[in-house]
Amino acid sequence: MLNAEVLGITALSLRIAVTATVVACAIGVPLGFWLGGTRFQGRRGVLVVLNTALAFPTVVIGLLLYLLLSRHGPLGGLGLLFTWRAIVVAEVILAAPIAAALTAAAVQSVDPRVRRTALTLGAGPLATAWAVAREARFALAAGVVVAFGRVFSEVGAAMIVGGNIRGETRTLTTAVALATSQGEFSLAIGLGLVLLALALTVNVLIQLLQGRDDA
Amino acid sequence: MLEARGLRHTYERRTVLSLERLVLAPGTRLALVGPNGSGKSTLLRLLAFLEAPEAGELALGGLPVRSGRERRAARHRVTLVEQRPYLFRGTVLANVAYPLRLRGNPRAAAEAAASGALERLQLGVLTGRQARSLSEGEVQRVAVARALAAEPDVLLLDEALSAADRAAQHALFAAVAEEQGQRPLAVAFASHLLEEAYRWSNDLLALHQGVSVPVTPENLFRVELPGGGGMQPVAVGGITLDVVCDRSGPATLAIPPEEIVLSREPLHSSARNSLPGRVVRIAEQGAAVRVTLDTGVELVALVTRRSVEEMGIALGTRLFASFKTVAIRIF
Repeated sequence: MLNAEVLGITALSLRIAVTATVVACAIGVPLGFWLGGTRFQGRRGVLVVLNTALAFPTVVIGLLLYLLLSRHGPLGGLGLLFTWRAIVVAEVILAAPIAAALTAAAVQSVDPRVRRTALTLGAGPLATAWAVAREARFALAAGVVVAFGRVFSEVGAAMIVGGNIRGETRTLTTAVALATSQGEFSLAIGLGLVLLALALTVNVLIQLLQGRDDA
Repeated sequence: MLEARGLRHTYERRTVLSLERLVLAPGTRLALVGPNGSGKSTLLRLLAFLEAPEAGELALGGLPVRSGRERRAARHRVTLVEQRPYLFRGTVLANVAYPLRLRGNPRAAAEAAASGALERLQLGVLTGRQARSLSEGEVQRVAVARALAAEPDVLLLDEALSAADRAAQHALFAAVAEEQGQRPLAVAFASHLLEEAYRWSNDLLALHQGVSVPVTPENLFRVELPGGGGMQPVAVGGITLDVVCDRSGPATLAIPPEEIVLSREPLHSSARNSLPGRVVRIAEQGAAVRVTLDTGVELVALVTRRSVEEMGIALGTRLFASFKTVAIRIF
C-alpha cells in the first residue's frame, strides 16, 4: 500500500523533473549559445538578469505563478493550478535561466579557435554551433545536471502551485515536507533516501555517458 | 582566382594592414615574409574570409565577396591553417574527414578519402590516434592534411609547419606542390624562415608594418634619420652607414642582399659603405648562396655558389661587405 504510493510519487516526481528539464534546456541552451557566442549591445545586462534569476527564491516564483494561474488571475482560464503541469511551468521558469547561464559560460570558455576552424573548413552557422557544442559537451552536460538537480529537489514552488494533492501533485519533496510536519519521520527519511538515490543515479548515468566518449 | 584590392585593416585604431593589390592565381605559391607583427596573419585571416576588411575589396573567381553570406560561400573554397591549429576532440581520422562530412559526404566515403589523404602526406600511422595525444608538430601536419581534404581552391598556411621537423615540412610542401600539378590550387604561406620561403615559393610578398615592401625582410633596419639633407650618417645598431635622403625622423632602411659585394680586402671603390665582418651563416639556394656576415649588425649578401667556392668562404671567414649608398632603400 505504502510502497505503491511511494512508487506513484516517485514516478510523478521523475515525470515532472524530466519534462521540466527538457523544456528548460530547449529554451535555455539555445539562449545560452546566443548569449555566449555573439557580441551585442546590452549583452552584459542580459547576463546580469540571468545570473540574478539563478538566485530567485522559489517561493516567490510559486507565489507569482499562483496569482497568474488562480481562477481569477490572467491565466486562470487555462485551469492549470493544482495540476502537475503547473509544477512543470514553475520548474521551467526556475531551471531555464540555469541552463542558459551555464550554457553561455560553457560556450564562452571554448577555445576561440574552434569557431574559426569550423568556419574555415566550410561549416555554416549551425554546423559551427554544433562543433562548439561538441568541444564544450562536458560543461554543457554539467548545466543539464544542475538544471535537473534544481528541478528535482525544488519544494517551495511545487507546494504552492501544485497544492501537494495526494495522487495528483504530491512529489517526493512535498511529500517529505508533509511527512515531517506530521511527525512521520520514518516515512520522511525513506522518501528522502529515494530522492537522494535518484539524484545519484542521474549523475552516475551522465558520468558514464561522458566517460565512454572521451577515453 | 582570389584577388584583393585596397585592403586596409586596423586593430584598436592602429593600422595593421594596408595593401594595394594581391592576386592569388592557380599554381601560385606565394610566400608571405616579414617580422612578427608585420601583418601576415591579419592578411591571411582576411583572405580566408574569417574577418571582413574595414576597407577594400576581395573577389573570388572574379566575383566580389562583400556580404556575410558571400563570405560563407567563399569559405567553402578557401581554407586557412593557423600557426597553432585546433584539432577537434576525437581521432585524427575524424578530424580529417570533418570537412568532407560538412560537404555532405556519407561517413564511410569521407573516412575513406580522409584516410587516403593522410597516407599521401605520410601521416598514415596517426590515423587512429586521438587528436589530443599528438605533439605540436603532428597537430600542424594533421591540420594541413585536414585543410587539403577540404579540396580548397586556395590554401592559406600561417606558419603552419613551424613546429614540424624538416623532413615533415619537406613531405608536406612536396605534397602541396604535387596537388598543384593535378588541379588548380593557389597557396599562400606565411613564414619567418626565409629559407623555407625561398625554397617553396614561386612568388614573394614582403610585409613590413602592414605595408608591402619591395625588398625581402633581410637587412631591414629601423633607424632615426638625423636630417640635414644630402648625405646623412645614420646609426644602425653598432655601425654607421652613409645614406642619401632628405627626410628626417624614424624610417626603415633596407639593403637588398643582391646589392652587397663581398671581398677579402676592403674595397677602394665608389661604394661608400664597406664593413668588416665574420661569416656566421651560409645557406645555399640553388646556384645562389646567402651569406650572413656579422658586422656589428647581421647583413645578408646574395652571391653565386662559384664565388663562394673561389673565395673559399666558410663559417668564420673574415670578409668585407660593400655597397653603394644609393643602393640603400629608405621607406
